[in-house]
Amino acid sequence: MSIIGLDGLQVRLGGRTVLDGLTGELHGKAIGLLGPNGAGKSTLINTLLGFHTPSRGTACVFGLDSRRDRARIRQSIGYMPENDSFIGNMTGVRFVRYMAELAGLPRAEALERAHEALFYVGLGEVRHRNIDTYSLGMKQLIKLAQALAHGPQLLILDEPTNGLDPLARQRMIHTLQEIRKGGSIRLLISSHLLRDIDETRDEVLILKDGRIAALSNIEEERRSHRNFMELEIMGSADEFCDSLRDLGCECACFAGGRVKLVMPDRMEPRDLYVMASRHGLQIRRIHRRRDSLEDIFMRAMDADSARGELVRL
Amino acid sequence: MSVYRHEYRAYTGKLTPLWTRVRVVARYALGEAWSSRITVGLFTFSMLPVVVYLIGIFLANNALARVLVMQGNGVLEVNSGYFLRVLSTQCWFAVVMTAWIAPRLVSFDLADNALPILLSHPISRFRFVLGKFIALFLCLSLVTWVPGLLLFAYQGYSCSKPWMGANLRIVTGLLLGALLWIGFLSMLGLALSSWVKWRTVAIGVIFAAVFVPAGVGGIITAILRTRWGYLLNLPVMMTQLWQRFLGAPPTMRDDMRLPTSAIALVLATVCLICVAMLNARIRAREVVRG
Repeated sequence: MSIIGLDGLQVRLGGRTVLDGLTGELHGKAIGLLGPNGAGKSTLINTLLGFHTPSRGTACVFGLDSRRDRARIRQSIGYMPENDSFIGNMTGVRFVRYMAELAGLPRAEALERAHEALFYVGLGEVRHRNIDTYSLGMKQLIKLAQALAHGPQLLILDEPTNGLDPLARQRMIHTLQEIRKGGSIRLLISSHLLRDIDETRDEVLILKDGRIAALSNIEEERRSHRNFMELEIMGSADEFCDSLRDLGCECACFAGGRVKLVMPDRMEPRDLYVMASRHGLQIRRIHRRRDSLEDIFMRAMDADSARGELVRL
Repeated sequence: MSVYRHEYRAYTGKLTPLWTRVRVVARYALGEAWSSRITVGLFTFSMLPVVVYLIGIFLANNALARVLVMQGNGVLEVNSGYFLRVLSTQCWFAVVMTAWIAPRLVSFDLADNALPILLSHPISRFRFVLGKFIALFLCLSLVTWVPGLLLFAYQGYSCSKPWMGANLRIVTGLLLGALLWIGFLSMLGLALSSWVKWRTVAIGVIFAAVFVPAGVGGIITAILRTRWGYLLNLPVMMTQLWQRFLGAPPTMRDDMRLPTSAIALVLATVCLICVAMLNARIRAREVVRG
């Protein structure tokens, strides 16, 4: 069963179409939700949580419809919102216990899990302090603690590293990686920071202007782009590139003799040297490059999402 | 998760039924309300008139004490008029309690934008508001109908004649009048608090909502020489309603008395406005038009 299933999902808010015809299924243990500001990431999360009602299509979480099975979906989800969201005059442990009880845990278990969750995220020592005395990083962590306390199946994190200093960010990323490694909990992480997503996800959904610009499994993408090469040559690159294209390569030339190319499977790096020798060129540097998330993201942004089709990278 | 191992552990225990989440909200709201010393102080202060009324009932039923304390002067009769005074006094204390407690129940959630997290749990907006309503209603009950019923029971116990059975209308009127008023106040208090982020301002707004329209209503009544201006005057409206519930003698001229249906209509309209206000404000996400 897919973690998240979207079928022609359209969401209109304030007379404006924010999400338009999203279709796709996400199965990964850690799903990255990417897109520029205003792409519709938070709206998609809010729709999954049942805060917004789809005007057309459906959004499902673990096969449950976000419109009909709102309570059951929320039962299985832990949500960490983007902005400040807490009750400032409550102590950390009381707040997390309150949220755990709202999620259905009995009083005693909720208290126990609240203590555990606070220690787990690193707020154990300050759990009896009022939340409004916490630093920004601590406030992010208390949101994470309350999302974890009831033991959800899916953790939805909206910009989890917002406003964190590098150390706190590293700690948050480390915690998320640990949760992912544990395997009992799925992650949906929304961010506009590629690095955050790159370090924590294994599947990525890229949104642009309320449409899906890309939906891909990063590891598979990387495997399929293993023939991506970067060269630095001495001499005229244009004719060399034309010859490579004749051999079936996708090829682009840049200033300073830099060439980027994707080789077909039948080609070997040795063929590049042969070709260079024919043209009287020298290959000064050759680098086989893994596809970065940034490449995937940039390609998705460049693709014409207005077609409304899913772009397979 | 485990405190000593610092590892995540999924929860596999039992879950409480969905309907009990209202109780959770109500319990935490009650905790919030009574965490303030001012709430305790107000409650204590609101019990002082009850003590006075209790002494009044004691004196009315004890000839020797009446002679000693009042030296034979004055007649103290415990009847519907007496319980109307009890109800009126306690119900105005309820306004003060509402103004203090209602903003505490809502403003803290709004000030730190807690609603997205609260409502991301399996509880609907209706149940969330219902939990807060129950908490406020219970707090107000402690200063209105609960002491009223205790006084009624004490009077029944103290009176040498069979008094309770003959005065059942008083107890039903007392209960009905208090429940109606505190239900109305709870709605009004929560609705107004949900629209004001700052607690101090919310307290002022709640008082203003009760007394400013009363002033406007008084002006309309005086200038236009019509009784309908009293429809904006909650104290007058409620006093008339309580008099009818308890069967107490009216204190206003006949031509100035309002029909019960008109009073009920005004109260129902205000309640509907409060529901609309709560519906617009108690949301996880605001939708900006345009």
